[in-house]
Amino acid sequence: MSDRDIQLRLGFGALVASALFIFIAIPNLVSAPSNVRNIVLSPLFWPYAIAGFCGLTGVGLVAAGLRAPKPQTEPEPDVDDIPKAYLRLLGIAIIMLVTVYAMPRLGLVWTCMLAFTATALLVRTSHPITALVCAVVVPLVLYFFFAHVAGVAIPQGQFVRLP
Amino acid sequence: MSFLDSLLAGLSLVANIESFLALGVGVAIGVVGGAIPGMSATMAVALTLPFTFAMSPITGILLLLGVYKGGIFGGSIPAILIKTPGTPASSATVLDGYPLAEQGKAGKALGMALWASCTADLISNLALILFAGWLASFALNFGPPEFFALILFSLTIIAGVSGNSLLRGALSALLGLMLATIGLDLVYGTNRFTFGNSNMMGGLNFIAVLIGLFAIPEIVGMVWNPKAHDGKTRTLGKNWVTFQEYKDSFRSIVRGSFIGVFLGSIPGIGAAPSAFLSYSEARRKSKNKDNFGKGELEGVAAAEAGNNGVAGATLIPLLALGVPGDVITAIIMGAFMIHGLQPGPMMFILNADIIYGLFIGLIVSSVFLFLIGSVAIRGFKYVADIPRGVLFPAVLVLCIYGVYAVNNNLFDVGVMFAMGWVGYMMVRYDIPAAPFLIAFILGPLLEDNFRQSMLMSGSSPLILFRGPITWFFWGLTCITVIAIIRAGIKATRGPVISSDLE
Repeated sequence: MSDRDIQLRLGFGALVASALFIFIAIPNLVSAPSNVRNIVLSPLFWPYAIAGFCGLTGVGLVAAGLRAPKPQTEPEPDVDDIPKAYLRLLGIAIIMLVTVYAMPRLGLVWTCMLAFTATALLVRTSHPITALVCAVVVPLVLYFFFAHVAGVAIPQGQFVRLP
Repeated sequence: MSFLDSLLAGLSLVANIESFLALGVGVAIGVVGGAIPGMSATMAVALTLPFTFAMSPITGILLLLGVYKGGIFGGSIPAILIKTPGTPASSATVLDGYPLAEQGKAGKALGMALWASCTADLISNLALILFAGWLASFALNFGPPEFFALILFSLTIIAGVSGNSLLRGALSALLGLMLATIGLDLVYGTNRFTFGNSNMMGGLNFIAVLIGLFAIPEIVGMVWNPKAHDGKTRTLGKNWVTFQEYKDSFRSIVRGSFIGVFLGSIPGIGAAPSAFLSYSEARRKSKNKDNFGKGELEGVAAAEAGNNGVAGATLIPLLALGVPGDVITAIIMGAFMIHGLQPGPMMFILNADIIYGLFIGLIVSSVFLFLIGSVAIRGFKYVADIPRGVLFPAVLVLCIYGVYAVNNNLFDVGVMFAMGWVGYMMVRYDIPAAPFLIAFILGPLLEDNFRQSMLMSGSSPLILFRGPITWFFWGLTCITVIAIIRAGIKATRGPVISSDLE
């Protein structure tokens, strides 16, 4: 993607975000007491001001994008196989999502072991045995540090409990 | 408390094994973190932060400062040996460091980088000790309007110089400010963007946002392109830097250190511009200017002095004014707050012992940097060989534990992942993340000072221009905006004119 395209996309994105904030998000998600006499002291003022400046920045970005020269050649992609790269991104997104939902049920230690293994497999690590050993050792070492040295209550989950 | 009393109180805080061990371990972690391509000093500091929770404030902060100092130097090792700067600040070191490595003089280049880094670090620490107290006593006269103008100036300059475009920096800062409004309103206690979720009523956790913005995007980036940062490591060679070579480059090192101190004390400029300015000044004034870019030892010295000269100076605005100078000092500010300390002028009165303890620790850190750096240069091969397919999953696990440990809250882990994707999109769209994070930290302060000013004046905006201090900061803000816009217009016109000529 060229610099010009990025500038234009960001500009339109900022304008849309600004409009969403001003017309939908702030009226519905920010509450203000009815007895505030001065608008600048209202809890609404700061979000509206930021959203307004966001819109102005969007206008500036669009104007700068339109002024920028069109690129002669398309920039080269940073990976060889783009569809596979997007699949890997989807993979890491799923790992993160599953991690968040699995933590209360499996506990932090077991979830982290699974997340470690899954991430290492996703990037096709050239050292699978090392990765597997580290997937077990790293969460355990961190568990013992945080639970027994720092005194943090690490969630244990509903199945296997650690000392 | 007199200067001597404060110094002795500081000494009593740090003169123990625990503090020195924290400093030494911090420098070692920083050097290794900075030296691993794909990691950075920022990421190393962010990942170390959760381990400081169990420590006393001074020990924890010394550990983080050690990581910071070590990380900035560590970045120069891969810059010289594999032409990949470990941190953005080391980009200028590549220019002469890698050609030297190609000539079989990597050991010489790394030795000079270490000597220049330690010298600049020492000068920067002395500048911090000299100026922070003076600036803090001046800042005691600041009221809410002055702080509002100062924070606005800081955000403007950070937005302007952090990336390639003022507008993208401004957008980043505005998004950070908006994110900072989440939670209960500071004055009325009403909900703002909480979606009725009790986890969001206190606002988003700073550590979750920070680690999400600076560590998770690196993991996602590695997943996108697992082969990035692969490079051939050069051998050190048998040439080592001599004292005569250090003496020959001494003027450039001192000049670079002062450039670093000056630029570092202005919030937002950071180490990379300082390194490039120091490098270009050294080239301009050198007898061997034709050799710059082809493997000139003085070039390595100047670049390293420029980026390390910033390290102590960025703490001047943090400690004296409570305004972080860059992302790493923003993280260190978070560490202060986690330990119940508020950086700013009042800290020089309320916690003078901690301030002077930090000063002493910083001076000692230069010695540790020299000792640990010497070992790290020889051990780099082992660091560079850590398989990325094992390293980054380990970083992911470290992030999860670290963020959870702040509040014992699994919700924060979700926030970290969400912010990680925001950070990754910012990387893809070339939006600087530094203004986002610093605006997120300073947002509540900015709003609070604005509303206090309005309450003081009965809502008259004229109070924001009430005296010479506010006028000074407003003037600086205007000059900054004009200078950045002019530079942006010149940069846009440049390619158009050159393409017309073609």
